[in-house]
Amino acid sequence: MSFVEISKLVKSFGPEVAVAGVDLSVEQGEFVTLLGPSGCGKTTTLRCIAGLEHPDSGDIQIEGDYVTSVTNEIFLTPEERNLGMVFQSYAVWPHMTVFDNVAYGLRIRRETRAAIKEKTTKALDLVGLGHLAERYATKLSGGQRQRVALARAIVYNPKVVLFDEPLSNLDAKLREHMRIELTRLQHDVGITSIYVTHDQTEALVMSDRVVVMDKGVIQQIGDPESIYAEPTNAFVANFIGVANLMEGKLLGHDGELTDLEIPLGDGSAPIRLKATGAEGAPVGAKIILSIRPEDILLHLEKPAEAMNLFEGEVIDTVYLGNFLDCQVRVGPHEVGVQIDHFEELDTGQKVYLSFTPDHGLCLTE
Amino acid sequence: MATDTAAPQIDVAPPRGWRTWFTQENIITTIVGLIVAVAVIVPLVALVINSFLVLDDLGFDTEWGLQNYRDIFHGHVIRKALVNTAIISTGCTILATLLGVSLAWINARTNCPFREQLEPFNLIPFFLSPFVGAIAWHNLASPKVGLINNMAKTAFGIDFPLFNVNNLWGVIWVTGIFFAPLVYLFVVGSLRRMDPSLEDSARTTGAGLFRTTMTITLPLVTPAILSGAIIVFVTTAGEFGVPFKLSAPFGWETLTTQIFTKAVGDDANHYLGAAMSMVVGVVTAFFIWIQHRIIAPRSYTTVTGKGFRPNLIDLGRWRWLAFAYNLSYVCVAVFLPIICLFFVSLHKIWSGRIIWSELTFWNYQKVLFFWWPESIQAATNGIINSFILAFGGASIAMVVAIIVSYMIHRTKGFGARLLDFLSVIPIGFPGIVLAMGVLVTYIRTPIYATLWILLLGYITRFFPYGQRNISSIMMAVSEELDQSSRMAGASWLTTLRRITIPLLKPGIFAGWILLFVIFLRELSISIILYSAGTETLSVGVYYLSNFENEPMTSALSIAQTVALLICIVIFRKVAGKEALTA
Repeated sequence: MSFVEISKLVKSFGPEVAVAGVDLSVEQGEFVTLLGPSGCGKTTTLRCIAGLEHPDSGDIQIEGDYVTSVTNEIFLTPEERNLGMVFQSYAVWPHMTVFDNVAYGLRIRRETRAAIKEKTTKALDLVGLGHLAERYATKLSGGQRQRVALARAIVYNPKVVLFDEPLSNLDAKLREHMRIELTRLQHDVGITSIYVTHDQTEALVMSDRVVVMDKGVIQQIGDPESIYAEPTNAFVANFIGVANLMEGKLLGHDGELTDLEIPLGDGSAPIRLKATGAEGAPVGAKIILSIRPEDILLHLEKPAEAMNLFEGEVIDTVYLGNFLDCQVRVGPHEVGVQIDHFEELDTGQKVYLSFTPDHGLCLTE
Repeated sequence: MATDTAAPQIDVAPPRGWRTWFTQENIITTIVGLIVAVAVIVPLVALVINSFLVLDDLGFDTEWGLQNYRDIFHGHVIRKALVNTAIISTGCTILATLLGVSLAWINARTNCPFREQLEPFNLIPFFLSPFVGAIAWHNLASPKVGLINNMAKTAFGIDFPLFNVNNLWGVIWVTGIFFAPLVYLFVVGSLRRMDPSLEDSARTTGAGLFRTTMTITLPLVTPAILSGAIIVFVTTAGEFGVPFKLSAPFGWETLTTQIFTKAVGDDANHYLGAAMSMVVGVVTAFFIWIQHRIIAPRSYTTVTGKGFRPNLIDLGRWRWLAFAYNLSYVCVAVFLPIICLFFVSLHKIWSGRIIWSELTFWNYQKVLFFWWPESIQAATNGIINSFILAFGGASIAMVVAIIVSYMIHRTKGFGARLLDFLSVIPIGFPGIVLAMGVLVTYIRTPIYATLWILLLGYITRFFPYGQRNISSIMMAVSEELDQSSRMAGASWLTTLRRITIPLLKPGIFAGWILLFVIFLRELSISIILYSAGTETLSVGVYYLSNFENEPMTSALSIAQTVALLICIVIFRKVAGKEALTA
């Protein structure tokens, strides 16, 4: 039994199904991110854990105790769950000082005056706001409010801290800074965290495990490396990073490798390629080949020997500082290629592309 | 970063010639600005000056002095009126705040059944005439002709009058239920637009429902409650119709009824009237100043611009009690008064009992058929004049409002700040006070005793209401939309006509109807400024109430109420549900 255990969670708003059967377990001290586009059900899942939404069905257990169980008719109110939560809008109370905001949870727990003072000061120092304790929340910047919200959520040592897109209202520089700080803090305090975001960088940088969601369903769970390198379906491949997706047909399995062909239409012969993945799929099955732009090699001349070689025509190049982003037309497909050597490329120029089989990933629908 | 290069030489442009000042924008805004300044400031200055003029015993000559103020604070009658005004305003503020806050909370934050159906009814009293409400409650609960008292007598044999509204309590009751929507509007907006995560975070931090409500929700809406309460206090202090109908005839005068007596009638003394207006005006202006300078800036911006679903509290079985409470409010503030007036209007003589065999529409003929020689002139004049004033007044006031808002939000400098200030001032002075100022200013000019002086009074007092409607939209619409039009080659006027005004259209129409409603029921300005031939609807009601009888009064009241109710329906269609919430 994991520390947080969610099973068969379903929640709809009217006819719209927000969460369609989510199962998830989170270990103690783990930092798990729910990642997905807006409307994928990640925030609703989080709010169900918090007790701010009543799910239609499913159970949620924390430390082995039910906090929500539709079948057993158990529903603990948010205040009975002993969790901390950081909201997207920070939700720092404008009629209280920074100190009072953070001390709120301790006062509710009837801690002694001395303990409140000590713990609040410690939490404020932890987020670097010790010097602003007596200031009103309305006089703070966005980043400072975010820290108040964070201190407020961790000060009473809750079982789990829930983060609902806490960095999305900050500007890019500050977001990056807070991301690092949050990660450091989470490691120092070692608190179990469930974090919701639509920002893949945030998810990849901060998490122990990433849960990719779409349309109310979990698409993939895994550590950041495997989510990026081994997406299990086209949605994950495309959502995490950038991927070239081309539809094709499975021809057969050759040991570790998979043979496939990509039709080019217009009477041209299909290109035959070797890649990995789709191990269980039968011959002739429809598959999607996913290749990251940085994994494709671009050649000006036809190389003597190269695997997975095919030709294309340059459509456009964009200079991006440390690399060149090049769009190449291959039959009906536009393939994005990232190159770091600066070739002179003209629009309409014929080029050759190749990739090693381990960088091509076959995905089934 | 240090740099060695010298700052480039800048050619200082020669001062621009005065000719360049004459642009469409500058000419039009300056003219309108000056008119507004004159219209607002002159009556107030005149009021101050006149309040220090003392009429001699013969009533012909005046001299400078403080005798008017001495009369107010030492004269027995007026001092009592001052005390009564204070009691009524305080009592009404407490009642209206309790009603407004509780109803707002029920509607915005609970699962009270049918609240969406009840909500529009909660706002109806805001649009109706409190004077008519007083007439209705007079007929419902005065000792002799009160319908409720007589029904109690017939049904239960209660010999003594069960209720008596002909005293200060009656005035507090009627103003309280009629002004509750003012508080309601302030608070319901604040409750609805509050970021629900402010409360959610209290819940996840460990606070229960009750504690969250007391430590988070209530403190956050406190500025809205205080703002609403102050508006109610000021409105009540300037309210004329209700005390005039309910308490003044029974010896409970207020400052407003005293000002009225001093402005018209046989012992008219404009100078004393001006001094009394000053006393009321100083107090109300002070409170409005507090609201604007101290309370409004402290209201918490809890909005983050997202569409929120506010947290609803499950009241369980208690929700039916909340429903009953809200329904009772709607009954005493809307249904009972209108039904009672309707029945009274169908009698030739009202004795406090419905006599089913004698019901007739006779009174409606008397007060509505203006082509009929036997109709009552004051009433039929009132209908025609009020529609002229409401239509013309609302239209002109909205033009002023648009230009004033434009100046406040799209220009900089002294003019913008002055107009911002000028458009708050009329709100600080009750209609009757401003009307006294207008009266003493224009009494010796040709516009006295014409509809023009009424029009002037209406627009001066109420254009800020239209201006607020426009300003709130103008702040939300980017200035760059105007500027792009100028860049594309359009003149200032063309931009105003083709870009700015079309963008403001919903606000303009909502503001227009709101002013139309206000003007259609206006009493306290009209009562000071009207003369024979320029009666308004409410003056007609006043006339009938004073010189004719209750059934005829009720007939005209019903006619006015029906007109207002039609406007409410149009207003809601045009402006949508949230239009009024502060």
